[in-house]
This record gives sequence, structure tokens and C-alpha cells, in this order.
Amino acid sequence: MQHMANLNIPVAEREPAGAAHAKAAIEISDLSHVYAGAQGGVPALEDISMRVGSGRFVVIVGPSGCGKTSLLMMMAGLRAQSQGEIFCHGAPIRAPDPRRVGVIFQEASLFPWLSALDNIEFPLSLRGDPKDERRRRAEKMLELVGLGGFGERYPHELSGGMKQRVSIARGLVQDPPVLLMDEPFAALDEQTRMTMGHELLRIWSLTSKTVVFITHSLTEAVYLADEVLVMSARPGRIIDRIAIPLPRPRNYEMMATDVFGQLRERIWQQIRSDA
Amino acid sequence: MSRIQIIVARLALLALVLAVWELLPRLQIVNPLLLPPLSDVMSTLGNLLLRAQVQEAIGVTAAEVIVAFLIAVPLGAALGVLISENEYVGEVFKPLLFYVFSIPKSIFLPMFILVIGINFWQKVAYAAFTTTFVVLISAASAVESVKQEYILVARSYGATRTQILTRVYVPSMMPLLLEALRISMIFNFTGVMIAEMYASRTGIGHLISGWGENFQMRELFAGVIILSAVAILFNETVRFFEDRCSTWRT
Repeated sequence: MQHMANLNIPVAEREPAGAAHAKAAIEISDLSHVYAGAQGGVPALEDISMRVGSGRFVVIVGPSGCGKTSLLMMMAGLRAQSQGEIFCHGAPIRAPDPRRVGVIFQEASLFPWLSALDNIEFPLSLRGDPKDERRRRAEKMLELVGLGGFGERYPHELSGGMKQRVSIARGLVQDPPVLLMDEPFAALDEQTRMTMGHELLRIWSLTSKTVVFITHSLTEAVYLADEVLVMSARPGRIIDRIAIPLPRPRNYEMMATDVFGQLRERIWQQIRSDA
Repeated sequence: MSRIQIIVARLALLALVLAVWELLPRLQIVNPLLLPPLSDVMSTLGNLLLRAQVQEAIGVTAAEVIVAFLIAVPLGAALGVLISENEYVGEVFKPLLFYVFSIPKSIFLPMFILVIGINFWQKVAYAAFTTTFVVLISAASAVESVKQEYILVARSYGATRTQILTRVYVPSMMPLLLEALRISMIFNFTGVMIAEMYASRTGIGHLISGWGENFQMRELFAGVIILSAVAILFNETVRFFEDRCSTWRT
């Protein structure tokens, strides 16, 4: 641990001063999960405790199969954990609740039989909102993600980056305070990925959502996050919490700075020492 | 080649086939007793369609085809969904169903006659039997083609079970279902024809096999044209809808 001190990087457990007393957007204490299986099952997640302050951008990184996607699915109420409770703005999450939590999945997972606008409207149509109200909101979201005028296109007529923009718009259309993102840009090429990350920060700054974001890319993690949580290999535990003190708005030049490199290195050390 | 060129070439091919049909017997290259010229067949066709016996036969065949289809499609679809949605039922029944699917169904026809007799319902039962398997296998693979992530997306937005069924399963399965519908109609039609030609008192299949046995080649070919027209019309109608949702496949 000696070398850590030299880097002069604060270990973050706290939120910006103003938000310190606000109710956490996501609060998890002592969550564990065991997959059913032979010999009493396979432990997948162990003693997960975390707190995501309202309006914060938290990124979870960890090796493949560490259970980070499972953890996100639990936050979304799509999967049940064996033990522990997840609170979102003070109330437990036990089933999907699109009014509190929006999910953006790994691949765009847009419905190929619906146009971009109809895809964005889908969550609203499930709860039976009137047609013109739905259309108005969907068009607003499409503008927000920079795809105004592409509403009538079908997913197969859109590029990978555009599909993910539509997917983000779909996640935002119900205006949930929390956005969960499961490696949303993993399938994109490197340039598009960086552009989309930057775009996401722009959208985030306009909407003041709380974001929990999963990625494999350490560069992406440092670039996007207020705080990075590092998970261990299975059974997944949170082995480090790293505050990212880079100022906002972020820009590409920051990636070349020493601080950026040191932060990235620290995450890498954690993941490597665990492997 | 442009779209227009292709259409012109196709029409030219059709005209060529029809011209060859007309000319070969006319020029005595083919025995006109075996292959009557197209124009003769067409005039026979016109007369046949006015005959009460033929009209009745068409009515009977159409009724058999429709009733068998209406039984086989929902039954096959329900069984197909059941074996692909219920893991246990699927594990138990799939091998047996796939084995039976591989057997030519016509060998069971004598049993249908022994059990039901030679009548309307025997034709319907036999055709429905052959068709149900096709629908079942297609429906099962259609259900399995629905991507899990689409269901997850719908669930994350709070979709109910009914909404997942109508808003995700149905549109997602539609291309495969339409294809299944089309192919099952081919099997269904074939089933009715075989049953009618094997043993029957009425129906187009019965008339065609009678005309064949009595060497009435004009009537035989006229019957072939009627059947072909109906079959092609149905097939192309479904294919039209199929093409419209072909881009859903991913």
C-alpha cells in the first residue's frame, strides 16, 4: 500500500459537500448471491455494500464473470439476490420499476420490428400513455441524443452508435432518476465508443441522472466516472473504491495527463493483484 | 439486371412454357392424346367449371382443406409453444415428435380409412394429422427464435406477461410463423389430395385420379390448372406479408 500514498489520490467514500445529506440514489448493504447448483451452489457475489449519491456517475469494473452484470440486474429488479436488500431513494427494489430505474443493455437490443421513435415510445405505450403525448416525449428524447430526424428509421437502417443513442433515449423517456448501463458501448469500435462516452456525459450533464455504468474498459471508466468501484473475480466483492477527481466537463486531452494515467494504473493494479 | 428486366425475363419464360405447351402437341412433336394443347385444355377448363359435379367437388375439397387447416394450425402452434416453453414437456416429447415427423405420413392413410371410413372427416383428419407436425416443429423453433434480451428489455420497462406475449413474442415470431403458415398449407393441400386420390367419392383429387384412369387428358390438365392456381394464390398471398416483415429477422 506504500506506493498508493505517493500517487496522492483520495480514496472516495463521500459525495460532493452539497449532496452529503441527500438520500442515496442506490444503497446496498451486505448483498450476497449464490447460484443454485450442485454441492450447495456457486457463490457469485459476496458482501456487496455500496452507496451511490444522487446525481453521481459511478462505474463498476471487474474481470469477466465477476458478477457485475448480475449485480446491475438486481439493481434493476430483474433478478433476485439470495441475501441483502437494494434501496433506491429509500425504497427497496424487488421488481422492475421503470419510474425509478431505467436500464440500457449491452447490445442496443432495440426491437427490430419498431421504428426508432416507436422503440423510444415502447415504455410509455406499456403504461398506456396517450399517443400524441408519447410521440411528443419520444421526439424530445431523440433530439436530446442528437438523432432528430431519424425517428422513422428502423434499427437495421441505423449504425451501431446511433442504435445505442436510441437505446439511451428509450432509457430516458420515462425520466427515471437512476440509469443503469450494462456495457452499453462494448460492441462499438474504439472511436465510436469514445464519442459515445463523451455524448453520454453531455446528456448526463443535461439530465442530472444518477448513473451506474458497467464496463471492461479502464480508460472508459476513468473518463466517465465520479467514482470507480473495482470488483474481484468470482465470487465478486468490491475490492476498491477510487474517486476520480478530474474536473468536469471532461475532454479528450485529459486522457493524456499523468493523473489520468495514474488512476488507470491503480485500477489495473487492483484487478491484476486479484487475478 | 434491373427490376424491370427481371420482370420482363420472367414473363418471357412463362410465355415460352405456355407456347411450348401449345406448339408441341399442335406440331405433333408430342402425342396430343398424352399432352393436349393448352388452348384445348383451357376451353375444357371453362366447360368443367360450369358443371355441377365439378363445382360440388371444388366445394368439398375447399371445405376439407379449410377445416383441416383450421384444426392443424392452432393445434400445432399450441403444441409447439408448449414443448418449447415447458422444458420438461419438451425434453420428454421432442424426440418422439421428431421421429414421427421423419416418417412419410401417407403410410398411415389406410389406418384413417379403417378407423373413420371413406368420408369428409377422414380426409380432414388425415390432412390435419400431416399438417400438425409441420406447424408444431415450426412453432417450436419460432418460440426459440425469440431473443432473451428482448424479453429482458420489456420486463425492465415493467411489461406484464400478457404484454410480453403480445408486444414481444408475437411480432418477434411473425416472420417464422408466416413461413410456417405457408409451408403448412402446402402440406395440408397435399394431404387432402392424397386422401382424395387414394379413396374417395368426390373432391377435385377424386376427379383428377378418375380422369387419369380414363385417359381424359384435357380434363386432367384442367384439374391440374385449377389446383395450381389456388395453391399458388394462397402461397403468394402469405409470402407477400412474409416479405414485409423479413427485415425483422436479425
